[in-house]
Amino acid sequence: MRSLPLDSPGIPDTRSPGRFLWWQARRQKGPLALALILGVLTFASQTVMPYVFGVALDSGLEQGVTPELWRWAGILLAAAVVQVVTAAWGHRADVVNWLRASFASSELIGNRIVESGDAISEELPTGEVVATVASDALRMGDIYANAARLVGSLCAYVVVAVIMLNMSLLLGLVVTLGLPIVSGMLVLLVKPLQARQAAQREAQGRLTTLGADTVSGLRILRGIGGEKVFADRYRAQSQKVKVAGERVAVTQSWLDGLQILLPYLMLALVLWLGAREAVKGNITAGQLVTFFGYASFLTWPMQNIVEVIQFVTRAFIASRKILKVLQTGSATPASSSPAVMPAEGAELVDEASGLVVAPGRLVALVCQDPDASAAVATRLGRLDDELEDATPVRLGGVLLRDLDKGALRRRIVVGEATPHLFTGSLRAGLDVRGGASDEQILAAMHVADAADVLDSTPDGLDGEITEKGRTLSGGQRQRVALARALLTDAEILVLVEPTSAVDAHTEARIAERLAAARRGRTTVIVTASPLVLEHVDEVVLLEGGTIVARGTHRGLVTDTGEDGRRYRAVVDRKMDTHDSQTPAEVTR
Amino acid sequence: MSGRKLPVADGPTTRRHTAALLRRHSRPLIGITVLHTIAALAGLVGPLLVGRLVDQIVAGASLAVVDQAALIFVTAIVLQSVLVRFAQRKARVYGETMFAELREDFVDAVTALPLSTVESAGTGDLVGRTTNDVDRVQFAVRFGVPRVLVAIITIVATLVAAFIIAPQVTVVMVLTAPIVVIVSRWYLARATPGYQRESAAYAALNGTITESVEGARTIDALALEQTRRDRLRADLREAFEAERYTLRLRTVLTPGLDTPFMLAPIILLLWGAFLISHGWTTVGDVTAIVLYMRMIIGPIWELVFWLDEIQVAMTSLGRLFGVRLVEPDRTTSGVEPTDEVVRTEAVRYAYREGHDVLHGIDLDLRPGERLAVVGPSGAGKSTLGRMIAGIHPPTGGAATVGGVPLVDLPLEDLRGHVALVTQEHHVFVGTLADNLRLADVTASDEALLGALDAVAARTWVDSLPDGIETEVGSGGYQLSPAQAQQVALARLVLLDPHTLILDEATSLLDPRAARELETSLGAVLTGRTVVAIAHRLHTAHDADRVAVVDGGRISEIGPHAELVSAGGDYAALWHSWQSE
Repeated sequence: MRSLPLDSPGIPDTRSPGRFLWWQARRQKGPLALALILGVLTFASQTVMPYVFGVALDSGLEQGVTPELWRWAGILLAAAVVQVVTAAWGHRADVVNWLRASFASSELIGNRIVESGDAISEELPTGEVVATVASDALRMGDIYANAARLVGSLCAYVVVAVIMLNMSLLLGLVVTLGLPIVSGMLVLLVKPLQARQAAQREAQGRLTTLGADTVSGLRILRGIGGEKVFADRYRAQSQKVKVAGERVAVTQSWLDGLQILLPYLMLALVLWLGAREAVKGNITAGQLVTFFGYASFLTWPMQNIVEVIQFVTRAFIASRKILKVLQTGSATPASSSPAVMPAEGAELVDEASGLVVAPGRLVALVCQDPDASAAVATRLGRLDDELEDATPVRLGGVLLRDLDKGALRRRIVVGEATPHLFTGSLRAGLDVRGGASDEQILAAMHVADAADVLDSTPDGLDGEITEKGRTLSGGQRQRVALARALLTDAEILVLVEPTSAVDAHTEARIAERLAAARRGRTTVIVTASPLVLEHVDEVVLLEGGTIVARGTHRGLVTDTGEDGRRYRAVVDRKMDTHDSQTPAEVTR
Repeated sequence: MSGRKLPVADGPTTRRHTAALLRRHSRPLIGITVLHTIAALAGLVGPLLVGRLVDQIVAGASLAVVDQAALIFVTAIVLQSVLVRFAQRKARVYGETMFAELREDFVDAVTALPLSTVESAGTGDLVGRTTNDVDRVQFAVRFGVPRVLVAIITIVATLVAAFIIAPQVTVVMVLTAPIVVIVSRWYLARATPGYQRESAAYAALNGTITESVEGARTIDALALEQTRRDRLRADLREAFEAERYTLRLRTVLTPGLDTPFMLAPIILLLWGAFLISHGWTTVGDVTAIVLYMRMIIGPIWELVFWLDEIQVAMTSLGRLFGVRLVEPDRTTSGVEPTDEVVRTEAVRYAYREGHDVLHGIDLDLRPGERLAVVGPSGAGKSTLGRMIAGIHPPTGGAATVGGVPLVDLPLEDLRGHVALVTQEHHVFVGTLADNLRLADVTASDEALLGALDAVAARTWVDSLPDGIETEVGSGGYQLSPAQAQQVALARLVLLDPHTLILDEATSLLDPRAARELETSLGAVLTGRTVVAIAHRLHTAHDADRVAVVDGGRISEIGPHAELVSAGGDYAALWHSWQSE
């Protein structure tokens, strides 16, 4: 049994659910072929029993256990052995097929998500995306798990048809033509079922999203109120799911009833005709039993066929949802022929604001509207091409979007204001590029003044960060994220409000250490905190989307001109900006 | 905060709750059982007729006998189909009803969890229960319960019929029973841990995907693509190993169950021939029993499959019922507060016994005052905030409003007195108005807009495509953290408590925005008592009084200017922050 997941999930055909399913089938044609062979053997061996049993009955049971009976029993035993063995191995093959397909889908979805950047959460709710892995990938795999059952059933049908036609043309025709008609009628009933199932799944998906949403915000609900509203909202949606489920139940129960009625009426017809033939002496009593056995046996392959049709409809619904995720674009699509990467030390220029990030300098970006400065800083890292279509950024004269993304990410790293911490060990969470020594990690944590995080996890660097870093305080999360960004040791590091959630003492420490750690390295910090601004090489004031002033923090604070006034209006900490008192006077 | 885990109901408790649920819905269950039993009996007619016909044909029967038998058969089939149709509809609706009740009760229990539990247990576990466990149980209840019923009824009815019709033939089947029992027991004993490992593996996989979606931007920014791919592959690998184990179990089970079923007709043929040769039975009876034995193969398989699923579902059910086991953290004394004065008297608190985080805090809040609480990280500021907000009962001393301990008030009343806002925020799926009305269901649109105005959020709200009716939250319009926090503060305006605890509520905003927000909020909060726990000292400067918390004690308290001129710790902190 080959270990999964395979080395690569491949490049899928996403043009339609059908093509996607077919593409996956081709990727596992070996295991599928094996499963089909075993499936055929399993079903074929089952066709032996009714035939041999009928012959044995005719051989004269009233004579007791004769050598001839032993021979028939031996044949039955051989068929039984084949069936037992192929059924067990066939199941293994089915599971392998199921896992290969659904794991491949899961991996494709997972890879698509990590390559999409912002695009995925903009286009689809988180719950829906998760559901594609949690259930749709598994439903999609059902097709491959049940392919053998379908083919085996069809083969058994053909074999039985041949045997019966040989024994009695009339009966054989009745069974071989009657059963497909019955199946066809049952298939027609699947249509409305499919629509109702889709409606139920839709409602169910919304319910799950609602439940997860309610629980995620439970602290707020319990603190502020509204839990009743949310419980009621969940209940209302839950009732919708129930009603949709009852609709399914009505259609499904008709199918349940007809699945008995139609094949059994067929069976009754066979019994009636067969018994009449037997009375007339055209067939033997044993053959009557064989016919009855076959007609009732065939309901099993037929039921399989109906069931597999249901699986197929579900797999199509699931594939459609999977494709929705796979067709999500990327916020920063890869360029097919990337431009030549400029050499190290190239200037980074934001054309819209006029910001020029000179190599080797520590620059602070200051703005009255922090969102505006954050937006400028963020686009330096090229995180959303569409959004920044009108605000091109160039590295060494080349548009960022024309560069190879992977290479660009190695050179420019943006630490955003609300970074996400991932579960896993603290070491893995910090050292995202891999290969940093413990000393380097600890040094970065020292710069970010995050040593207290180490104390809070019992196993130090091997300690676990829980989901979204929930066991850490907001300040701790921010400092861990800062250490993580520092550890990338990027040629150009852009930090958005890296100290907004920490207290003044800590902020002063971080600012000093950060400046020392990044000395001579290109660094951009978005901040308006004097504690940080004091330590940077240059401050740049942004107003109305463009650079209006630049200089040192000290220089601009003491500047008596317009630039100084504007700058102080942003960074001045005095409680009343109209107050002409100096801070020294306030604290006197 | 050390996370206290949510309880899981043990086997007996789960079974008790399940039995109670079944009892509440016993009526349809009886109806379904009766319908299915009659249907199963009707289904037994066919093989019996075949057997009789074989004997009659051998003895030389007339066509009239055949016609009569066919008529009986058709009648039985029609009866069976109609009964199954109604039974299945009833059973499926029953499954939907039971499951709807189960999940609704669960969410009711979750939304009624004690404040202190919600604060300390974390939401990850709860989200898992709401999604994965509910789904697991759904499968078993929706499909399993009806199927198990049918299977058991069919097996019992068929075996009983076989023994009544030809006991001397059927008795030989006793030989195969032990194999079925032994193999099933072997399997069922190992299946539950195996399938639990599977579901844990899939839960981890889903967790990884969730994280990847939520952190998609960070993944892009830090080029974490490969790391996340590797993580996903590791999860798939574990899922594969788990699947491989259960597959191994089934590789024993499948031949184990198949073998006796395959042997049955062979044994019956030989045994039957022996009986027939002695005149102890007829060919027809042997035929009927062989056909009966074939009829129960399907139901036995189905039973094993579902017993297995139900075992697994029971553990999920244990996690759902576990939420109900959380004891309420407060009992309402019924005493009404005499006024709106909040005070703490010698409040102590320990998350772990013997490790006091607060060492006897005495604090009188003056109605309408603004108190800033400052101090280094880990000093116990947030814990003190929780005490004043009535979230955790103190381990010593008391936090009271109008002379009544806060934790003695019903939750609805408590919220009218004190509210806590933390830096954690969550935008719920729904409209912006829905998000605001949590605090006041009856609030008019004007009131909502007024509240947004108060927190300086009108500008961006008005620019939204549908204003306050814009869909926000996961899948809707994405609010920035600052906007989300403004929404949280707007809720407070609507909630209108006389005392507010802001626990670094604005720390996710940049300082300037935080200041603006606090300034505009300040206008609305006039006349309210505000306790602001803050990193940012301008908050302290604006406050009427400042309390410096250090090492679980209040080391300094007084107006800003007083503390600054006193030249203590606070003064030092202030100078450092002023930076000049």
